[in-house]
Amino acid sequence: MRLTLNGEAVDLDARSDEMLLGVLRADGLLSVRETCGIGVCGACTVLLDGAPVSGCLVFARAAEGREVTTVEGLGGDDAVQRAFASGRAFQCGYCTPGMILTAKAFLAETPSPTEDEIRVALAGNLCRCGSYVKIIEAIKEAAT
Amino acid sequence: MSDPRTTGASRFAEDARLPDMLYARILRSPYAHARIRSIDTSLVPDSCVILTGEDVRDLERYGPQIQDQTVLALYEALYAGDPVAAIAAPTPREANGALELVFVDYEELPAVTDVLEAREPGAPLVHETARIAENEAAYFEMRPQPGTNVCHRFRIRRGDPEAAFAGADIVVDETYRTAGAQHVHMEPHASVARWQDGVLEVWTGTQTPFNVRSDLARVFHVAPEAVRVVCEPMGGSFGGKTFVRLEAIAAALARKAGRPVKAVLDRSEEFQTLNRHPAVVRVKIGATEDGTLVGARIWCWADTGAYADSGPGVVQKMGFAAPGPYRIANVWVDADCVYTHLPPNGAFRGYGQMQSTFARELVLDVLADRLGIDPVELRLRNVLRDGDVYATGETVHDCMYGECLQAAARAVDWNAGRRGKGLGLLMKGMQTPSRAEVVIEAHGDEYIIRCGATEMGQGTWRTIALLAAERLGVDLSHVRVEVPDTNVVPYDSRTTSSRTTYVMSRALDDAVRDLHAGDGRRGHGVVVIEGGLDPDTGAGVASHHWHQGAAACELRVDEETGRVEVLRLHAATYAGRVVARAGAELQNEGSMIMGLGSALYESIAFADGQVTNANLSDYEIPSFADLPAQLTHELIEKPGAEIHGLGETALPPVPAAIGNALKTLDVEVHELPITAEHVLNALERQVPA
Repeated sequence: MRLTLNGEAVDLDARSDEMLLGVLRADGLLSVRETCGIGVCGACTVLLDGAPVSGCLVFARAAEGREVTTVEGLGGDDAVQRAFASGRAFQCGYCTPGMILTAKAFLAETPSPTEDEIRVALAGNLCRCGSYVKIIEAIKEAAT
Repeated sequence: MSDPRTTGASRFAEDARLPDMLYARILRSPYAHARIRSIDTSLVPDSCVILTGEDVRDLERYGPQIQDQTVLALYEALYAGDPVAAIAAPTPREANGALELVFVDYEELPAVTDVLEAREPGAPLVHETARIAENEAAYFEMRPQPGTNVCHRFRIRRGDPEAAFAGADIVVDETYRTAGAQHVHMEPHASVARWQDGVLEVWTGTQTPFNVRSDLARVFHVAPEAVRVVCEPMGGSFGGKTFVRLEAIAAALARKAGRPVKAVLDRSEEFQTLNRHPAVVRVKIGATEDGTLVGARIWCWADTGAYADSGPGVVQKMGFAAPGPYRIANVWVDADCVYTHLPPNGAFRGYGQMQSTFARELVLDVLADRLGIDPVELRLRNVLRDGDVYATGETVHDCMYGECLQAAARAVDWNAGRRGKGLGLLMKGMQTPSRAEVVIEAHGDEYIIRCGATEMGQGTWRTIALLAAERLGVDLSHVRVEVPDTNVVPYDSRTTSSRTTYVMSRALDDAVRDLHAGDGRRGHGVVVIEGGLDPDTGAGVASHHWHQGAAACELRVDEETGRVEVLRLHAATYAGRVVARAGAELQNEGSMIMGLGSALYESIAFADGQVTNANLSDYEIPSFADLPAQLTHELIEKPGAEIHGLGETALPPVPAAIGNALKTLDVEVHELPITAEHVLNALERQVPA
């Protein structure tokens, strides 16, 4: 199938029953990670045409002809990435790519969020290390 | 500014791949206790390697403290989830498919799944005998009780508490239950094993590389030097990735396949692999009317599941710190580690302290109310100070319990009114005895640090680099800490019990001295922490120094729904000296949030011994939406003090603070988690008939 992956047109092999999560990992995009496998933790979040989706719930074929962004495609110097890095808004970092992508899509729609809005928007991304306080601070920082 | 965690460049144990690698899946017993009559593998395709009990009968048993675990169940499955067969296939999909083609004929046997029933005479025995491990993880004497399911009994016998109760003005005696919990590290357990020329290499996420090495060597009848364990960074662990987990199965499959094998658990299997000990804790404390605590008896019954794992250590620690940071002349503790036919329970952030801290701190508030003394005041009248003798007979130093408690109380405006507010105070041991070594290698003006400290998100490699840079007088950018590889790094007990920052700071002192004394190219540092307890009397040195912290909260209850809304949560922890500020803050915040989960949400549910909520939809961990409106904390420092680890300190006092706060709203709590249903029931009971 053809799609735009991190800004480049690519051809990927995907069976009709394969999820986007597995296909992206097989392509070497190891920032997309499986924790719950049922769409409640956000660790496999990717942007599909700019909107956050759980890679474990979306059939790979559903991305055909569309634009998929993982954190590898942000270039490393994105404002949200910078804010997470300088604010040390992570511990193990396993959930961080999903957090960054959700935050990025959220800030695109809500450029100046309140803290309550951030808490609601990110509630679908779990961090068991409990880095939530510093993640909220980083998103506020990225919003300014 | 960038960081591998923000760019996607981080690699975890789960990401390890080797050429020609096969993928493993595990077939697990659906029964809590069953005899394996036969296993039919005739339909498994030839492309797969299948491993059953017959393949592993020649292998030794393992277990860090009691060797009670076989690589696969040999004759009987001892819990629902016990591995009975394993498949290795060219793809995970083929492995899953082949798993469906293995047929096991079971004969169901009587099971015991409640800790109090399991300790009764006549209960079905999970294991007939207990073989004590002969390795460094068995760092104290085991006291299995023959003919029972008690695999370790720990006692403190100091003074005569019953006589003290007879002379007390008030005696409070209450019993509490705490639920089992899952670590829910975001990255699952993942291990890759390869045999080459009689040498076993394992790439795995573990906090205990040297314990994994010694147990694998024992299992496969090879020398420890013939086992290499490489510890990639973990996507969280919280005690879950300790001792042998998947490594033995992956290695046995790789041995049979003659190819490398990778094993990764799915989320439901995590709930069948290692959890936190559910416990029943009874606390009886007596006081005179001036608020002096005169005696305490404490009983802990902890469910370690079907295999002991580090349960004996957890229970000993649950017991030895159960009296808490108070001067009490007469203390008896009886702590039993009990087998049941449930999934194994082992190390979990807090290591037994949450369970006994919760029970004791709730009893202290009951006592305070009955004495008419403010709970903070009652604690301050009895709190341990430098030079006091603890229940183990050891003299304590560097005591900051009172300061932590007062700081927590201030943060919730304690003196402005107590309604809806509660506190808890923690005393937690650090692994004692233990040993740590570190090597510093100088390459020009670059320094490489080699040690066994494993990275699970706590930031230990950064902390160690900061400590080394400070001691070497160089910029942080000139210091690099290598991924632990048991072929390369010197010995370290393990990365547990919040010990690493402290012990590595001392080992680095020694290594820098050695570096400067020699040719300046290599320095080797060693620190040995001595101590230990008599398991029958509790006498000795429980902890080289103690982790100290307090939590306070303010909350309200929705009387319609029973929902507990935590408005403010504050933790005050004693750091001695902060080394890595952001890392220390993150550990405090993360511990508090995990404590919130233990207090209000998290409980592993069972039916007939099977976990019924083994997914993150039914087992809920705290999200952003569950955060208190204010979540704050402080790191207390003291000039010249020893560094105190902070990995767990802020967790155990949180459920106690929440339980005590609910009591001021007439919601009596005797069980964790505190569900909305419980709150509603408690509120209904108050309504006059």
